[in-house]
Amino acid sequence: MMATGMVSHGRDLSPLPPAATSKRKRPWWLSGTPVVTAVVVAAVFVVWPMLASGYWVQASTSAAAFAMAALGVSVLVGRVGLISLGQVALVATGAWIALRLGYGTGLPFPVIVFLAGVGTGVVGLVIGLPSLWLSGLTFAVLTLMGAAAITLVLTVISFPNGGGGLTGFASTGDSAPMLERPMYADSDADYFRLALVIAVLMFALVLIHLNSRAGRAWEAIRQSPAAAIGTGIDVVRYKLWAILLASFIAGVAGAVMAGAGGIRVTLFPVQDSIIIVAAVLMAGAFSLWGAIVAAVLMKFLGAAFTLLDVSSSLLLILFGAGIIQVLLQSPQGIVGQLQGVVARRRRRDRTADTGQAEGEQDA
Amino acid sequence: MSNLLPFVVLGIALGSVFALSGLGIVVLYRTTGVLNFAGGATGALGALVAWTLLEALGLNEWVAYLGGILTAAFLTLLYGVTVGRGLAHRDPLTKAMGTIGLLLALLGLMSLVWNPTVVRTMPLPTTAITMRIGPVVVNGTQIVALVLALVVCAATAVFLKRSKLGTAMRAMADDRTSTAILGVPVRSVEATTWFVSGLLAGVSGLLLSNLVNLNAVDLTFLVIPALAVALVAMLRSVWVCFAAGLAIGLIQSLLTPVLALSPYRSMTPFVVAVVAVLWMAWRRPNVERIA
Repeated sequence: MMATGMVSHGRDLSPLPPAATSKRKRPWWLSGTPVVTAVVVAAVFVVWPMLASGYWVQASTSAAAFAMAALGVSVLVGRVGLISLGQVALVATGAWIALRLGYGTGLPFPVIVFLAGVGTGVVGLVIGLPSLWLSGLTFAVLTLMGAAAITLVLTVISFPNGGGGLTGFASTGDSAPMLERPMYADSDADYFRLALVIAVLMFALVLIHLNSRAGRAWEAIRQSPAAAIGTGIDVVRYKLWAILLASFIAGVAGAVMAGAGGIRVTLFPVQDSIIIVAAVLMAGAFSLWGAIVAAVLMKFLGAAFTLLDVSSSLLLILFGAGIIQVLLQSPQGIVGQLQGVVARRRRRDRTADTGQAEGEQDA
Repeated sequence: MSNLLPFVVLGIALGSVFALSGLGIVVLYRTTGVLNFAGGATGALGALVAWTLLEALGLNEWVAYLGGILTAAFLTLLYGVTVGRGLAHRDPLTKAMGTIGLLLALLGLMSLVWNPTVVRTMPLPTTAITMRIGPVVVNGTQIVALVLALVVCAATAVFLKRSKLGTAMRAMADDRTSTAILGVPVRSVEATTWFVSGLLAGVSGLLLSNLVNLNAVDLTFLVIPALAVALVAMLRSVWVCFAAGLAIGLIQSLLTPVLALSPYRSMTPFVVAVVAVLWMAWRRPNVERIA
């Protein structure tokens, strides 16, 4: 480990931890321990809904949805170097589209989820498009404004609850409508399992991207946009691609949320779009584990605070202070620090036979 | 036409405050390279502190207002000399993220200390003063807002151009290290700028608490029109700031009587900013980047 807190890395948000630049662009845990990952996921899938109470199963479902949303943020922040301050508003957009389709059509659940993702992807593109030719700062500002605008529109038109017209809202209908769950996932426990499967699919989608041409292009853009242009990468196109991917995932997360429980606008306040970025930065934007940790921080801590009757305002203070601490001292976040410990131990184990610990930088 | 005039007055007053808070963002960005997302939150804190001093402690109202404004200013200064200094060598996006941390922490602090479900009001004494200008009635706070915005914009423009400190600020905007080598006390110039932008945030917060609503979340996110103003001004021009503030305020206010668009009028800053950004991207695609 280098003294990463001190290094200023040009235009980057923060220096990349050594672990993430290692040979194959692939996080060590995936190449090294896919089995462990599979076992953990399977255990959560089978055992957790049996052990946990209804309250925690519901919290887990929304944590799964937010892990997807955080995954989108993590791609933008950690891979492309864009800060989007509108992700949770896009989740709300996805929930709206899912409810509109759910009440308006008889489409099966997976199709609705997919279409919610596509529709939200388009909305995200429209918001992100204007600032693409300008700096990341403009993107951050415009996405925050976009989040406020989306929240305002949803407050005015409300979530669809079976009414007619474009908005599908009837003032006599349910004030907190819910997407009808598919038959095979009707109970809360089964719905959590379904959410988990969708989340795993989204993580796989992102992993495929990261190991493809797009992932390499994003890496180049994050390191230096000018150099990326120089090597012939179409920066605008790949940025758009990343925004589309992140927004698509947000929309899918929104559709999952819509089936988890009653949806109302107050579930998606503007500050949550900021908090999710804070959570991802705190948890670590350079590893996909960070997205999971971020969702757990956001949803489980929130649920625990509610149970313990502690004000959720403390959570805001925690995230605010946390983000500042991360920016000042440890850009890799919680996961990065853990990985640093593991990576150091591994390196110590194999220092004798290979001397290539330092020469792993390929461009 | 004449029934639109009250909305024009409201719009000018609101726009003046947007211009003021946008100016605070621009001046800070020009000197330190920090885009301050937390301007609304510090302003909200200032207004709530003033409310407490006035209502709970029963202090003289001017003391209370001054206390609120100074709270915002010193808090901004404190952030600037601690976190701001720690991030001074980092890229603009990281610096901006630091202020987002401040925004969240302040939002949490405010809802912890001042119960958000309680409705609070703090009418400024100027709001009670009304006068007729031609066919419309104007209150004192609205006049104060406009005059203050004009004076502060003019003073800032002159200050940046003529004074020694202003020259140092402009030099630092170009190149912090070179400016330091030339013997400019970079840190104290930065501290001064943080303090001044905090003052502007405090004043804006106090005025907005009267023109809009004394509510922590609302006031915090009124940083959005201020950011729109700063964006339109390309984080540079003082007078464009003023014009953009007035324009956004006016459009937003004039949409109020339009029935179909009235509920969406708070989207005005977003729409104006998008148009401005598109125009910038079209005019100079690669050359003149913000940051």
